[in-house]
Amino acid sequence: MIMKTAFALVAALTMASVAMAVEVGKPAPDFTGTDINGKTIRLSDYKGKIVVIESYNSDCPYCHNHYATGAAQELQKDLAAKGVVWLMVNSVNPKNMSHRTPEQARAEWTSQKIAATAWIDDSSGTLGHLYGMKTTPDMYVIDKNGILVYHGAIDNQPDPFHNPRTADNYVRDAVDDLMTGKQIAVAETKPYGCSVKYAD
Amino acid sequence: MRTFLKLLPVVLLVLAGNAAHAAHTQVQLLLSANTVRPGDTIWAGLDMKMDPDWHTYWKNPGAAGMATKIQWQLPPGVTVGDIQWPLPEKLPPAEITTYGYNNEVMLLVPLKIAADLKPGMVLDLKANVSWLECKEACIPGKTTVAAQLNTGRDTEVSADAATINLWKSKTPQPGVQLASHAWWEKPASGDKRPLIIEWSVPDKAAEADFFPYAANNFDVQPATENLANRTGGFSLRKTVQKFSGDWPEEISGIVVMEINGQRQGFDVKVSVGDQVPTGEITSVPTSGAGVSTAPTGGVPVLPVQPLWRMLLYAFIGGLILNIMPCVLPVIALKILGFINHAQHEPGRVRVLGLIYAAGVLVSFLVLAGVVIGVKAAGHHAGWGMQFGSPVFVVCLTTLITLVALNLFGVFEVTLGGRTLSAAGQLASKQGAPGAFFNGLLATALATPCTAPFLAPALGFAFAQNSSIIVLIFLSVGLGLAAPYVVLSWNPAWLKFLPKPGAWMEKFKIAMGFPMLLTAVWLFNLAADDYGTNVLWLGVFLVLLAFATWIFGEFVQRGRTGKGIAVVIVLILLIGGYAFALENQLHWREPVAMADSTAASPANPGGIDWQSWSPEAVAKAQSEGHPVLVDFTANWCLTCQVNKKVAIEVPSVRKKLREINAVTLVGDYTHFPENITTELNRYSRAGVPLVLVYPKDVGAQPIVLPELLTPGIVLDALDRAAR
Repeated sequence: MIMKTAFALVAALTMASVAMAVEVGKPAPDFTGTDINGKTIRLSDYKGKIVVIESYNSDCPYCHNHYATGAAQELQKDLAAKGVVWLMVNSVNPKNMSHRTPEQARAEWTSQKIAATAWIDDSSGTLGHLYGMKTTPDMYVIDKNGILVYHGAIDNQPDPFHNPRTADNYVRDAVDDLMTGKQIAVAETKPYGCSVKYAD
Repeated sequence: MRTFLKLLPVVLLVLAGNAAHAAHTQVQLLLSANTVRPGDTIWAGLDMKMDPDWHTYWKNPGAAGMATKIQWQLPPGVTVGDIQWPLPEKLPPAEITTYGYNNEVMLLVPLKIAADLKPGMVLDLKANVSWLECKEACIPGKTTVAAQLNTGRDTEVSADAATINLWKSKTPQPGVQLASHAWWEKPASGDKRPLIIEWSVPDKAAEADFFPYAANNFDVQPATENLANRTGGFSLRKTVQKFSGDWPEEISGIVVMEINGQRQGFDVKVSVGDQVPTGEITSVPTSGAGVSTAPTGGVPVLPVQPLWRMLLYAFIGGLILNIMPCVLPVIALKILGFINHAQHEPGRVRVLGLIYAAGVLVSFLVLAGVVIGVKAAGHHAGWGMQFGSPVFVVCLTTLITLVALNLFGVFEVTLGGRTLSAAGQLASKQGAPGAFFNGLLATALATPCTAPFLAPALGFAFAQNSSIIVLIFLSVGLGLAAPYVVLSWNPAWLKFLPKPGAWMEKFKIAMGFPMLLTAVWLFNLAADDYGTNVLWLGVFLVLLAFATWIFGEFVQRGRTGKGIAVVIVLILLIGGYAFALENQLHWREPVAMADSTAASPANPGGIDWQSWSPEAVAKAQSEGHPVLVDFTANWCLTCQVNKKVAIEVPSVRKKLREINAVTLVGDYTHFPENITTELNRYSRAGVPLVLVYPKDVGAQPIVLPELLTPGIVLDALDRAAR
């Protein structure tokens, strides 16, 4: 009986998450999270600003490539200068060797010279599942009205060894298109990278 | 600091990318030949061995991961084709399904050597390989592998050719014959749209799936829903997610099915329609190997036959079983029964005909149940397999001996507590139990006679789900029972049979002799399991015969001393069983005898048979010999006949010597696993199976029909030697 109830519950939750899966052109679902400094981050607080969401795990060679080359930090700085908010989401479960405690995350923030707005600790995977994040990196761009305008790969080079600066960066393109009031040229791509290390 | 330590392996790996192997994957470059004749195409095999729990990815990695990449550095005159990828697995978790390989994979690449290269050159082949290996975390790997290849007058196969062949058999085969087609089930909802893919294999049970190739602007998502099929094939629902552009008009990938317990892939390119198709839509074949002259890999195309035709074959096979030498005596008994009753009880004849049919059908249902059970238990079932069980053979030998003795009139069988009249034999007195028993007996005896029609139907049945297995077996049973049901239903036809009379008693005794012959044949089968100890089975049978004579003469027909006679009978039976069967023969656990059918040099002037193995085939091919493989079993009559009339004959022996062929024999008497697998590859449920391999490395064999003539064998050998 208990099993059955639990099963029904899991099924209902799964359905719910499927139903709520994000879709380009629709409002991005609101969420509340806690960053590595203990600060509460709410998506709706950034209404009126362009928001970039990044699924992040620096042990993944694809993410690592973007940060080790400094290209990701450069992009974060460029976009910050344009008033864009950049939220990193780390959904690695606590049992995985790539998990970061807030203390470790703060150390990584400093050593990697990360220039994002915030790093949300999502070790429960709630936010990752809500947004259907499958890979690291998996990128989302939300416009000033809270509409998801881009979802997918960070760039057109699905390779852990490429030079990110010479690749076509879809996030930069989408933000540029938004700023210049153009139609988003590439609104959706297939994200590449490592799988997000959710709990089983 | 801790973070840095965690990152350290990754950093080191990136720095030391050229190490011979990454942390968890060892990569090696193998070639199918040491020396190549310019103009030929050989195979390169990139062997990747992963540590336990680590995996690498397929050409479409799925939701995450990266396909392994090979960048060749080749001397002039060497060109490569596309990578041939062995069938991958779906890797968990379900929400981020990827396609990849655990433990080991070999990526195969055809290498074409230009015809204008000179013999005597040494070609240095190099490849930069990069891959992503994942377990809890993912690590990119990079290495350079190299191999050397000589050019020469003739292509000389390397020691790795067999391994390369093995992996080649795991690559998808062309799926044209599946006639796959697809259509959009509904209009799109957002960026997702449900797609139905259908293909026509008369098989629904085995795990069916579709692994898409990667596409730029859309993604066929990994989740698969198996739907009830409309036409006796498979129907899958997949969801397509579109990233940009129009909805695709064509989807390509691999259709995956479990056939005979083995996962097999079929390469398909399917155009997507807007609605459920009304007519037949044929799929367009996708290009196979990248180099057209490359030998094609993969296992032979499985026959795709509609169910009704298979059921018809099964029915005809059942009919033919009636005239098989091992069943005919039972049938003759049956006729006796008809004649007895046709005189005054036509209604009863009909009933008995139906009961006989019921007996046949019940025993076929039991066989179907055994097959399903064995399949479920993970073994490979095969037709006639019960003859590999010594216990079954001993029981059946005993039973047949008793039937023969009964026909000779040594004793009578009493059924239902009644003592039957002298004329009322087990079979001829046709009580309902007698008719039923005849049905059972006919089935038991029919199984080793794999008739030509029966084999494909059964081969088909063994690969099916339970309900189809039951259907096929019932069709065979119906075929076996049909003549009697028809005869008993229309008594007018019985008039064509001879009039009953005193000749019947003589005929009955005469029929005892083919029965005795069957017993001798079974006895000979038992000799394989018990060796010279089979003597004790003979001793037991004589004691049994003696006991039945005492029983018939003094218990059934005697007037006095019945009690003493019964005691003597019991002493003979129990004593004979305990001493001969249990104590001497150890009949339930025979000591394994040495394999008697391996190479038998004591065959003057005959064919020099060597023991079969896939390696032996590869080796012989690599040395430029055509190969004849005979899969046989001692209990397989058709196999023995084939060998006598079509293989071990002067013309074939001469041809084998002329073309310098290697002859291999695979003994299926005791169902070795590797032969079952091989039979299943050719959709056969049992032996006989005779294959003729051309002399070219990796060439697929010519599959000979079940019944052979010297002409068929000679023709195949000629083609193989070309």
